[in-house]
Amino acid sequence: MTNENKEKQGKLRWGELITVWLVLTILTVTGSLTIIPHLMPRAASSTMHLNILTVVVFSVTAAPVGSFVYAIAAYGLRNWRAGSGDEPPADGPPLRGNNVVTIVWIVVSTFLCVFLLVWGLAALSSDSSAAANSTFKVDVTGQQWLWTFHYPGTSVTTESLYLPEGKTVTFEVTSLDVVHGFWIEQMGVKIDANPGEVTTISVTPDKLGTFDVRCTEFCGLYHAFMTTQVHVVTPTKYHAWLQAQQA
Amino acid sequence: MKRDGLGALATVLGGVILVAVIAWLIVLASPHQPALTSNPDGTITIGGTTYNHVTLSIATYPDSLFGARGSGGAHPDWVSYSNDNLVVPAHSAVTMTVRQYDTGGEPNNPYFAKVVGTVGGTETINGTSVTSIPVNDVAHTFTLREIAGNAPYLYLNAPLPAVSASAANTLHIGHGTYPKPNVVTFTFITKGKGVYLWNCEFPCGDSVSGFGGAMSTYGYMSGTLTVN
Repeated sequence: MTNENKEKQGKLRWGELITVWLVLTILTVTGSLTIIPHLMPRAASSTMHLNILTVVVFSVTAAPVGSFVYAIAAYGLRNWRAGSGDEPPADGPPLRGNNVVTIVWIVVSTFLCVFLLVWGLAALSSDSSAAANSTFKVDVTGQQWLWTFHYPGTSVTTESLYLPEGKTVTFEVTSLDVVHGFWIEQMGVKIDANPGEVTTISVTPDKLGTFDVRCTEFCGLYHAFMTTQVHVVTPTKYHAWLQAQQA
Repeated sequence: MKRDGLGALATVLGGVILVAVIAWLIVLASPHQPALTSNPDGTITIGGTTYNHVTLSIATYPDSLFGARGSGGAHPDWVSYSNDNLVVPAHSAVTMTVRQYDTGGEPNNPYFAKVVGTVGGTETINGTSVTSIPVNDVAHTFTLREIAGNAPYLYLNAPLPAVSASAANTLHIGHGTYPKPNVVTFTFITKGKGVYLWNCEFPCGDSVSGFGGAMSTYGYMSGTLTVN
């Protein structure tokens, strides 16, 4: 190893490291705030709004941590790389006894973990309260390779789903054969459909339109085509549709 | 150093070739029977609208001794449709005739005993118009839906009633012998161009759920309907 390299390896230029960290943090936070919401399906329920917000907040929270790791890696590659023909340096001695680093590490990690835990519990509580307030149920059945929907209290079964806007619905989901995954992309609804079991999930559609249902558990030859549509219509149109189906 | 570079290049090339071979095998496993194109049959007026009218005729067998597989292929005992590659024109009325030669039972979901998506919500069975068939009398279904992203939304289900298990096999077709079939006819209106998927929703294959074997292999109990 040349003397120049030895000298470079021995010094840690905090200014350079922090500058790289700050630049990476600004880039990733900006990307989290501006790009990530556009990568998610357009929201058609308060659940999906919360899902998008959760992904953005978690990304922003993770950005400084991830950026710090990449900043150290970039700094190390630039300043501590062995030159051509040099013998790679032996590993340095372990660092112990730096109380400042230890305390900062513990405090920051604890703060971040508690923050994410509280956020997650609040989101779960929000989902549970929506289910508790729901009196409108739809039976969802998965079978290779179609979804069917039954509206309890009626004789109506369909292969595409109709929902009234603004009314909380609880899906009671099951399967007749293998495990399927019931996912309404734009509503943030995703739950397994298990044979012989009923799982439940609730949502309140808040946007009129047609949205996508997909299966999220690999269920055989035509899993990729196990799709259908959700039509969210006004309550008046929904009741008219339901009556027409029963006629 | 030079040998290391060649080794890395060979590794990358080997990976590319391996992926290409896998892709080729997947393509070979995909539907590849000759296309069955509908026959023109003038025009037809439905609900006040006049459509180009075409007809298409297929069949379901309790084995694979007829149709595109000829003498049976790899699984002569598997149930099969006669064709898996159907072609019809867009925005037309398609009258399909399905000759059903197989016995049956009860589908996993009774919903598939109901006729859905055909003109008038009906089909005719041996000349009699029905909106559904008895749940315990289903042999197969012709269940059609769009492939999301490839065609406009469409759903159609035509249940095909079973032939009695005690019916005598009196008809010699191809390499097989079959009973007198139930002849099911229904008409539907095609939407825009695209590829649609159809399959049987009666558990007539292998495994616990009845959706293995013929149900999970291209060319037996499923196929595509290309609208062009």
